[in-house]
Amino acid sequence: MTFVLLLSVFPQQHSAAMSVMQQDAAAVSSDTIPAQEETGGVQSDGNRYTGVFARIFDTFEKSPTLVLILYIVIIYSIITLIVLTVFILLNRSRMQKEQELRQELNEQYQQLLIDYLFDEEQRKEIFRKILRIASSNFRRQILINQIIELSVNMQGKVREDLRNLYLDVGLKKDSLRKAHSKKWHENVKGFRELAYMNIRSANDRIIECLNSHNQILRMEAQIALVRLSEDNPYTFLSYLEKPLAKWEQITIHELLTQHNLNVPDFNEWFDSENLSVVKFSLQMVAWFHQKEAVDGVIRLLNHADEEVRIYAIRTCGKLGEKKVLPHLQEMYDQASYNIRMELLKAFAQVPDENYLEFLNGVLDKEDDVQLQILATKAMENLDEPGISRLIKLMKKKSEYKNYQIIIRHVLDGRIY
Amino acid sequence: MGTFWTILGEVVNNSVFILTVIIFSTYLSLMIFSAVSLRKYLRKNSYVDYNSIITSPIAPTLSVIAPAYNESATIVDNIRTLLSLYYNNFEIVVVNDGSTDDSMEKIIAAYELEKVNYYFDYRLPCERIRGVYKSRNRSFKKLVVVDKRNGGKADALNAGLNVIKNDLVVSIDADSIMEPDALLKLVKPFLEEKEKKVIGAGGVIRIANSCEISGGHIKKIHLPEKWLPRAQVMEYTRAFLLGRMAWSELDGLLLISGALGMFNREIVIQAGGYSTNTVGEDMELVVRIRRYMAEKKQPYRVEYIPDPLCWTEVPSDLKSLARQRSRWTRGTMETLFKHRKLFFHPKYGKLGLLGYPYWLFFEWLAPIVEFLGIVWFTVLAITGRLNLPFFLLLLGFVYFFAVSLSIWSVLFEEITFHKYEKRRDVIKLMITAFLEPFLYHPLTMLMNIKGNIDKLFRKTTWGKQERQGFSGNSKPKKGTKANNETLEKKEEIAGDH
Repeated sequence: MTFVLLLSVFPQQHSAAMSVMQQDAAAVSSDTIPAQEETGGVQSDGNRYTGVFARIFDTFEKSPTLVLILYIVIIYSIITLIVLTVFILLNRSRMQKEQELRQELNEQYQQLLIDYLFDEEQRKEIFRKILRIASSNFRRQILINQIIELSVNMQGKVREDLRNLYLDVGLKKDSLRKAHSKKWHENVKGFRELAYMNIRSANDRIIECLNSHNQILRMEAQIALVRLSEDNPYTFLSYLEKPLAKWEQITIHELLTQHNLNVPDFNEWFDSENLSVVKFSLQMVAWFHQKEAVDGVIRLLNHADEEVRIYAIRTCGKLGEKKVLPHLQEMYDQASYNIRMELLKAFAQVPDENYLEFLNGVLDKEDDVQLQILATKAMENLDEPGISRLIKLMKKKSEYKNYQIIIRHVLDGRIY
Repeated sequence: MGTFWTILGEVVNNSVFILTVIIFSTYLSLMIFSAVSLRKYLRKNSYVDYNSIITSPIAPTLSVIAPAYNESATIVDNIRTLLSLYYNNFEIVVVNDGSTDDSMEKIIAAYELEKVNYYFDYRLPCERIRGVYKSRNRSFKKLVVVDKRNGGKADALNAGLNVIKNDLVVSIDADSIMEPDALLKLVKPFLEEKEKKVIGAGGVIRIANSCEISGGHIKKIHLPEKWLPRAQVMEYTRAFLLGRMAWSELDGLLLISGALGMFNREIVIQAGGYSTNTVGEDMELVVRIRRYMAEKKQPYRVEYIPDPLCWTEVPSDLKSLARQRSRWTRGTMETLFKHRKLFFHPKYGKLGLLGYPYWLFFEWLAPIVEFLGIVWFTVLAITGRLNLPFFLLLLGFVYFFAVSLSIWSVLFEEITFHKYEKRRDVIKLMITAFLEPFLYHPLTMLMNIKGNIDKLFRKTTWGKQERQGFSGNSKPKKGTKANNETLEKKEEIAGDH
């Protein structure tokens, strides 16, 4: 609202000049103005205005260009106001009508589809009806949506019938057109439809989009390929150049777990140049408990990238394989603060009393509270030997460390 | 003498005209950026299934920090509402900031709390933490209550940051009503992080006055019945849908409302946490974490969600509004002064070259220039030096342009989230846009000036006891006395500019 602020600044400056102008104007003889009009209303800045315009500009006694600009902005603003007001009010009605029509068509098409699927005698007649009503893009889109919605919840022959109907009505063309459109949001719609209807004719186009700059398009291409691939749905991870965002990882993981897809051996991608793929693979190895990948995980403990190392340590912890522990211990002294944190968490997840002295040493040596707590937690997870040691430590008086507070914190089961 | 006045008048005239053109062009550009950004966001999110986040074991865990001060009347319900937010892995950390009422006793009784043996790691300085409480009842395992000595909102947030363990932290004004899916939407920018680290995300704050609220949730949305809150609806719509959306697109966002924001915890801690020396700790934090990242030369982003994620009640009387605006102005001044090094400093990129100068000139100095202009105009009018026709022309120019921007923002609201279902409400909002420049804007300008004066001559902070926290998820029905009392408190904390 700084505009309105300035309106008051303007007049003051103009008026300052104006007062002088008014005085000057008084001094000038009255026949000066007709003289200007005779010469076409020539203004001081060289602009020429005649007739009505000249009179308007004279009224303001300002630069005609300035006045003209102000008039243009005012007229533009007023027109905008009128157009927007009308549009806003009409848009309300349009949206409401569209919503009602959509609702009505959804119900109508759903009923028709159910009749088509389950009333064999009337099927031809219903098919003709469906053909008739699928007359506009809007209606065809609603029909596609309905077919997809139904097919998601159906299995076997019914699903196959729906797919055949989709093909017979010619809706495939619509989906392909969208998949090849220049608009990314149309592509997404097309990919989804083709994937749900299991149509592979646009796979090349989908593969093209795997390295698109548009993250949504890229992700939808990945999902579509996973759905459309029969053998190894995750091969796209091998040639993915762009980073795999957490959001994409969540979506892929969801596909894996909720759509009964074959789970690949994720250690296949441990050597990928795309670090986000390596990190995702490590997470999946942990999630699907792929213990056969443990050697690969140990190898990644020495990866050049710290984040990859962190993910590898986490995976070691989750796999619960004791063979990782010597490697983790070996890393500790040279590790950064963040890595140390992760190492201690991993020790807590893979309890082994052979490492009691190591953990006790960490507790004694470290000054950082978080590291002390994690070391204590790892000791607690060793059960009897660890807890006995902690109780002994609680009694120990130390000038430098209040073991009692740290250990009481860790032993309080309500905190974690 | 005459020549002097002529020259002076023309110089000032041209300068101000150029300034006006710059301001108008800036607003026009922001509108265009906002439109682009909104379109992109809506298209992108029409394909999003947020349920994936709820069910995913690899989704990040969150900590929600809710500072509370003397919220005895509503604290129990507020916590219940927070516990019912849609998200899987999250904890609610309620920080009782030395309440002098029976807030703590009520929470302990309602949620079966007991003190745990917590070892505090004061990574961020804060007032002494007296204890951490957890529930004996497993149904409330997500709840952590921190009891500490009073230290103000920023101090309470720092205490919360010391206690939490999760990587992402959500700070809320507990008076606000969060949309149930607010966490899902807010976390998404962090999940989409690529080359640039996402260090913070904020969302749209909407006005809850006159809305029907039940059980801590908005049941029916209405435009405020009173004129003052209604004008603020217009102001918020414009600020959020035009301003912030555009700044997010430009990566120059300097403010995430204190009512609701999500941050990367480690970055916040490394940057020093919330500042307790300012009344605008929300803006100060965003500026500081941005500055921290720029100085570390780490690529980063601050994201903004145009979805309405949070509802808040705004002042409905002039006195409360004046206090709120004075505080906002003081907060802005404090942040701008503290981070003056950023001013046109190329090292800070868009933060120093775009965001900071915009706030300095457009948010802080513009009302002062406006006020001085009015004074000068009045003097000139009295002394008979006013060019009335030209003044009226300029008035029309500024007025119509300003109103058209407001109507654009109404359009953006209509084609995006259209929260006001009744056509009557939209018409009322449009009428408000026409009246606001004359009836509301001058008031906020004067309140802004008062904030400047307060900062220069009197108030330096809002004092420990002035900070408010929880008060309103299960708000009393509109128009009741209790509601007015809530608003009295609310005006001090509605942390948005």
